[in-house]
Amino acid sequence: MTTLQLLVNGLALGAAYALVALGFVLVLNATSAVNFAQGDLVTAGGLLAVALAPLIPLPGIALLPVVLVIMAALGLLLALAAYLPLRRSPPVAVFISTIAVGIILQNGASVLFGPEPRAAPPLLSGGTVDLGGLVVAEQSLAIIAVAGLLIAGQQWLFARTQVGRRLRATAQDPEMARACGVPVTAMILVTFALGTAYAGAAGLLLANRYFVTPTAGGDLILKAYIAVTIGGWGSVPGAVVGALLIALFEVGVSSVLSYPVALGLLYAALLVILLARPQGLFGEAARRRA
Amino acid sequence: MTVPEPEPLLRIEGLTAGYGGAVAVNNLSLSLAAGEAVALLGANGAGKSTLLKAILGLVPLRGGGLWLDGEAITTLAPEKRVRRGLGYVPEGRRVFPGMSVRDNLEVASPLGRAARADDLERVFALFPDLAGKAAERAWRLSGGQQQMLAVGRALMGRPRLLLLDEPSLGLSPKLAGEVFGAVRSIAAAGTTVLVAEQSAARALAATGRAVLMRLGRIVHDGPADKLPEDALREAFLGG
Repeated sequence: MTTLQLLVNGLALGAAYALVALGFVLVLNATSAVNFAQGDLVTAGGLLAVALAPLIPLPGIALLPVVLVIMAALGLLLALAAYLPLRRSPPVAVFISTIAVGIILQNGASVLFGPEPRAAPPLLSGGTVDLGGLVVAEQSLAIIAVAGLLIAGQQWLFARTQVGRRLRATAQDPEMARACGVPVTAMILVTFALGTAYAGAAGLLLANRYFVTPTAGGDLILKAYIAVTIGGWGSVPGAVVGALLIALFEVGVSSVLSYPVALGLLYAALLVILLARPQGLFGEAARRRA
Repeated sequence: MTVPEPEPLLRIEGLTAGYGGAVAVNNLSLSLAAGEAVALLGANGAGKSTLLKAILGLVPLRGGGLWLDGEAITTLAPEKRVRRGLGYVPEGRRVFPGMSVRDNLEVASPLGRAARADDLERVFALFPDLAGKAAERAWRLSGGQQQMLAVGRALMGRPRLLLLDEPSLGLSPKLAGEVFGAVRSIAAAGTTVLVAEQSAARALAATGRAVLMRLGRIVHDGPADKLPEDALREAFLGG
């Protein structure tokens, strides 16, 4: 496998991680709550795609809108059950409630789907594409394209629309947002819906190549957490770049050594970054916002 | 024949509010007529900020009630009170630091795109300094510009009653003068204004009525230009 092929695979994995980390950081900014269920929501999205596939006998891309809508509804449920009742409690209460939701999702998935890995259909045909001599999996390119569009959609929503302005104001100063007439609770619900929909989309994107098991969420939330830490706690572009870096690192080191070594080195690199640059790579912009 | 009193724009009755065990505003009643500009004066800790926050709904009430144009707003959430015509300029400005000047203004508008653009032009006309910085992130502005942005942001909601908390705090005399110039023109345009200040002179020059607070109560209420000197001294230093 050439370096370029590895790069494409790394970017595809990173694009999916970026969706997970993006959803995580949006909820973090809007609520100051760490959503530990985010990884299990990715699994839920993947299994949802597995379950929908026989009902919708089309390429996986056709499942995307359905997965987004159902997962957004699950996100609303998550906010209503695990965040809103505890919003005036210390942050640790929401840590625990989202961990609990994650455990419920994991066990629910085990009961419904069993413990063995499942695969969702590929986004398009599942073949390969010849890019002037470079043969890459079509699925990789499709993952990059879909994740890229979703990330661009989030950027557009936040930068250009009135809802996006209200979401940003809610994240930066919720009390002042209320004092400007922004319905803050509704904005928090929208954020949870969006973050969960993106986790679900990542599940659909990952569940073909990497399979999906009910317990895969733990690994994914760790990756999202590391991506957000590397990128700068609270920085949205930092989360996306952090996720891409992690995936490229993972794919690169795995190809030379092995996946466990890659994971070990990733945690070591995280420690080094925390010691040398605790604000993360993009941390300064995030600090100024506080 | 007696003419019935017109309903005041804001009526506060027996309002009590505070934090934890402390009562910052104690059984306070106050009415503001439409179009009035009122200075709320008092020393640090007199309860001015808490009163403004209680009017907006940002602190829980222990007792009493609030009516805006005859409608009870006591149990409404802050964002709903804002939609009914309250505007708030907080102490310390609290602009949304990571958002552009334009986005800071637009986010506070409940209106559609076209009306929002009109209101934006009006704010930029009132504060020409902001127009040139429209794309700048708010944290990059000077203190005076941030204060103007905070006032402009409150105006984007087309308030009937504008509440300002210490708008001259931390500003140079020149900038404080500019901010109060804007407050005067906002009041002259017919918006009711309630401005809390520690520096009395500037606030009195911009308003028609002075309300003095001390230890959570009103100790004087009268025309701004006929304020007895001992009333001011008593409010700030104690009698």
